[in-house]
Amino acid sequence: MTTGAADILVADPALGGRYDWSAGGFDAGGPGSAGGALAARSPWRLFWLRLRRDRVALVSLGFIVLLVVVALAAPLVVQLAGVPGPYVQNPNALDAFGSPTGPSLAHPFGVDQLGRDVFARVVYGARTSLEVGVIGTAIATVIGTVIGLLAGFYRGLTDTLLSRLTDVVLCFPVLLVGLGLGAACSVRGCFKGAIQPGVSTIVAIVALFNWTYIMRIVRGQVLSLREREFVEAARSLGASNARIVFREILPNLTAPLIVYASLLIPANILLEAALSFLGVGVRAPAASWGQMLADATPIFNTAWWYMLFPGLALLLTVLAFNLLGDGLQDALNPRMGRSIE
Amino acid sequence: MQAAPSRVRFALASALLAGVLAVALAACGSSNTSSSATSSIPLKAGESPAGQQLYGKQRGGTLTVYDHEDFEHFDPGEAYDAEDYTITSATQRSLYSYLPNNASKLEPDVAAGQPAIADGGKTVAIQIKPHIYFSPPVNREVDSGDVAYAIERGANPNVANPYFESYFGDIVGADKATGGPISGIETPSRYTIVFHLTKPTAALLVGALSLPLSAPVPPEFAKPLDAHKPTTYGSEYLVATGPYMLKSDSTGKFLGIGYQPGKSATLVRNPRWNPHTDFRPAYLNQIDINIGAESTVIGQKVLQGEDIVQNDTPAQSAVKEAYEHYPQQITFTPGSGTYYASLNTAHGPFANIDLRKAVWAALDRDAIVKVRGGPLTGQPMTHFLYPTVAGYEQAGGAAGPKVDYNEHPEGDPAVAAKYMKLAGYPGGKYTGGSTLQLVGATGEPEDAMAQIVNQTLQSLGFKTHLTLVDKSVMYGKYCTVPAQAIDVCPNVGWVRDFADPQTVLYSTFYGPAIRPEGNSNWSQLNDPQINAAMEKATLVVGEPTRAEAWGKIDETLVAQAAALPEVYANAAQIEGKGIAGVNQLWNTGTWDYDFTSLK
Repeated sequence: MTTGAADILVADPALGGRYDWSAGGFDAGGPGSAGGALAARSPWRLFWLRLRRDRVALVSLGFIVLLVVVALAAPLVVQLAGVPGPYVQNPNALDAFGSPTGPSLAHPFGVDQLGRDVFARVVYGARTSLEVGVIGTAIATVIGTVIGLLAGFYRGLTDTLLSRLTDVVLCFPVLLVGLGLGAACSVRGCFKGAIQPGVSTIVAIVALFNWTYIMRIVRGQVLSLREREFVEAARSLGASNARIVFREILPNLTAPLIVYASLLIPANILLEAALSFLGVGVRAPAASWGQMLADATPIFNTAWWYMLFPGLALLLTVLAFNLLGDGLQDALNPRMGRSIE
Repeated sequence: MQAAPSRVRFALASALLAGVLAVALAACGSSNTSSSATSSIPLKAGESPAGQQLYGKQRGGTLTVYDHEDFEHFDPGEAYDAEDYTITSATQRSLYSYLPNNASKLEPDVAAGQPAIADGGKTVAIQIKPHIYFSPPVNREVDSGDVAYAIERGANPNVANPYFESYFGDIVGADKATGGPISGIETPSRYTIVFHLTKPTAALLVGALSLPLSAPVPPEFAKPLDAHKPTTYGSEYLVATGPYMLKSDSTGKFLGIGYQPGKSATLVRNPRWNPHTDFRPAYLNQIDINIGAESTVIGQKVLQGEDIVQNDTPAQSAVKEAYEHYPQQITFTPGSGTYYASLNTAHGPFANIDLRKAVWAALDRDAIVKVRGGPLTGQPMTHFLYPTVAGYEQAGGAAGPKVDYNEHPEGDPAVAAKYMKLAGYPGGKYTGGSTLQLVGATGEPEDAMAQIVNQTLQSLGFKTHLTLVDKSVMYGKYCTVPAQAIDVCPNVGWVRDFADPQTVLYSTFYGPAIRPEGNSNWSQLNDPQINAAMEKATLVVGEPTRAEAWGKIDETLVAQAAALPEVYANAAQIEGKGIAGVNQLWNTGTWDYDFTSLK
C-alpha cells in the first residue's frame, strides 16, 4: 500500500481483476476482464470486497458482532431468556446433596454450585472476556505502535534502548507475573491500592506485557517504510518528523496492526481465562469463563454442563477471533496470506 | 486452633457416649424439621463410629491412603491439625488418649493409671508405665524426664506450640518458660511426674495431657534439633513411641526417606513398640500415604478400590456417589466441629452489635449446609458449642438460644431489617461509607460459603471486597493477624482440643487471648463480662457444673452475636471395599490407623 492512496482504479471484483498492492498496478488477467469497465475503489472497499468472499471470516465476524451485542445488552438478554441474574444464589436449585442440577426449562444451561444460572453467567462472562480482550489489546497496540514507531524511525541509540527494553519485557513470564501480582495484591491491593485484583489489573497486565509483539512488527515495517520514496518526498517538502511518522508512515501500518491486533485479542482472552482459572483473575462473584471452568473442574463428573457451556463459549470466541484474524490478513494483504480464490 | 475441615482439637463430649449420639441425632432431627435444606435425606452411615469393632480383626497388610493436602508438622510439639494428628496418633503416645469409638473417656496411655489430683486441684501426680521404648536410633526406655522435656519444649520459641499457653500456662513457672526446665514440673522418680499449678485447674490440665505435646521426647536426641529455628525435630528427624514410625535411616532421619514433601509418606512398624503396654492393636504392617491428587479423582479411586482410604475430606461428588452406590464405604461422624464467619467486633461496622445481629438474622444457614453437601455433612449452626460437646444442650441444643435473629436458619429479612433500624439505618440498608474486607478460602465448599456470606452482606447494603486465598494464607496472613483489620473471615471454624467445653470457647472468644499473630479470637471479642465469666468457669470442677457454666457463656456469646454461625459439621470419610476402617469419634472423624485393618 502506498501513502495517501486515494481512489484507485481497479476492476470490478466480480469481473475477476486483481489489484497488486505492492506493485501498485492492476492485473486484468481474470476472466472477463478484457473490455471490463474500470471503477474507482478505495483500499477499504477492496478490503471489504475480498473479506466478504471469505465465508468463514464472515461467519466469525457475525459471531463476534453477536457476542458484542450480547455482552453489551447482557441484562436485557438475561431478562428476555427468563432466567435469574448471574449473581442470584438459589440453594433450592441444588439437589439434596448440594450438587448443581442440569439444564432445564428454568435454567437452560443448568446451575452452578451456588444455584446460580449458568446461562446468565456465561452471558456476563462474555463481558469480562471482551473487556480484557478488546481494551487490553487496544492499549497494548497503542503502546507497541508508539514504541515501534520511535525505534524504527529514529534508529541508533533510541532503537537500541527501546529494542532492549522490549527484549527485557519479553523475558517476563506473564502468567507468573499475573499470579504474583494476584497473590501479593489480593486483599488491599498494591502501591496504595493502585493495583487491585480484578478486570482492571488483568487489562493492565495484558497491556504492559503484550505490546512487545506489536512493537517488533511496527519497528520492522517502519525501518522499511522510512526509506520509501513517499517519505523522502515528504521530507524534501520540509515535513517535520512528527508529520512523517504520524501522517505518512502510520497510515501504512493500519493493515498489519488490524491483523495482529485481531490475533492478539483471542490470546488475551485466553490469558484472562487462565488467570481467572488460577484464581487471580476477576473477583468473585463477577462472572468469568475461566473462573467458571476452574469451579467446574472438581465437580465435572456430576455437573458436566458447568464446564461445557463456558468452555464452549471460550472455544467459539477464541476460534472466531482467530478465523477473523486470518480472514483480515487475507483481505488486507492477499500476497501474504491464503488465497481467497 | 484454626478452622476445620481440618484443624483439630481434641475433644471430649460432655455426656456419656450414648447421650452424645442421641444429641447428635437429635440435632439432625431438629434441623430436619426446621429446614427445607435438610428435609430430604435421612442421615445414614455405612457404619456408625459408635459401633465400630476395634479388636479381633485381621492382622497384616499394607493400607494405601490418599490425601489431597500435605501435612504441616509431624513433631508432637507442633502438630495441631487433623491431618497431622493422624500421624502423631500412630507414631506418638501421649500420657492419655481416647479410644476411637469413645468420645468421653480418657484412657491411660503412657500413664499407668488415672492422675492423682491434690492440693485442691493445684497438684497433679501421674505414674507412667515402664517398658515403653523409643524407636531407633534412641531405643531406650521412656522415663518421666522425657515427658517433662516434651512439655517444656512447647514453650521453646523454636517449637512454638500453639496451645501451650492455653492449657499448660497455669503450671508454676510456665509464664516465664522458654524451653528450659519449668519449676512446676517435677520428676521425683523415673516413673513419676508431678505438675504444680498456680490455679486449681487440674481437670483442664489432665484433659490437655491427651494432646500430642505430652508424648515423650528424648532430650538427648531432640535438644540439638530444637536449637534450630524452627526445630528440625519433626521436620527432618523423629523418633516414635507408638506402634508406627515414619520410615527412617539409622540416624532417625525421615525426610527424603519416609516423607517426600507434597508427594508421599510411609509409616512402618516401630520395632521397639511394646504392645503389652498399649491398647492399640496396630493391625497393619505398613501405611503408604500418597499426597496431592485431586479429591474428585481420589474419590473414584477409593470407592472402586480395595485396600485404600481417603484421609482428608472427600469431594462432594464422592460423598454423593458413595451414599447412592457404596453406602458401606462411607461414614459420617457427627460432632466434627463448627464453621462460622468471624465479624470484627473491634474495628469497623461490626463493632455495632445490632449490625452483627442483623447479619446473623439475614444469613441463610440452610444454603450453607446445602453447598457443603447437604444434611449428611452438617446441620445449621445455632450457637458455638456443638453437638457432642458438654454444654451444647444447656445452651439450647439444636434450636439454640431463643433470640429472634437465631430462629430462622433460612434467613429472616424482617428481623434483619429490625436490627438494621436499631443500628441506626432506618431504611434497613447500611449506608456507611466503608467497604468491608472479606478474606475467605479458595476451593469447594469454602468458596461457595464465602460467597453466600458476601451476598448476605450486600443484601443489607454493605459494600464488600471479597478475596479468596489459600486457606493457609487466609489464616496465617489475614484472619489470625488483628492488625490486618479484616472485617469478615467467612471460613473459620473450630474443633475441640479435648473433651471440655472450654476448649471450644476460650481461645476463640476470650479477650485477653487476643494475640498480634496466631490469634484464634478471630472476632477480636473482648467483652469484660464474658471474660470474667470465662475466668470463673475455668475454675469450675465437675463435668455437669462445667457444662452448665460454659453453656451459659455460650448463650451470652449468642446474645453478643460474637460471630456468624454457619454449620455444625459431620465429617464424611470414604474407604475401599477391602478396608475395615475405624474413625476417631472423639475428634474429627479421621481414620485411626492404629485400629483400621484390612478385611
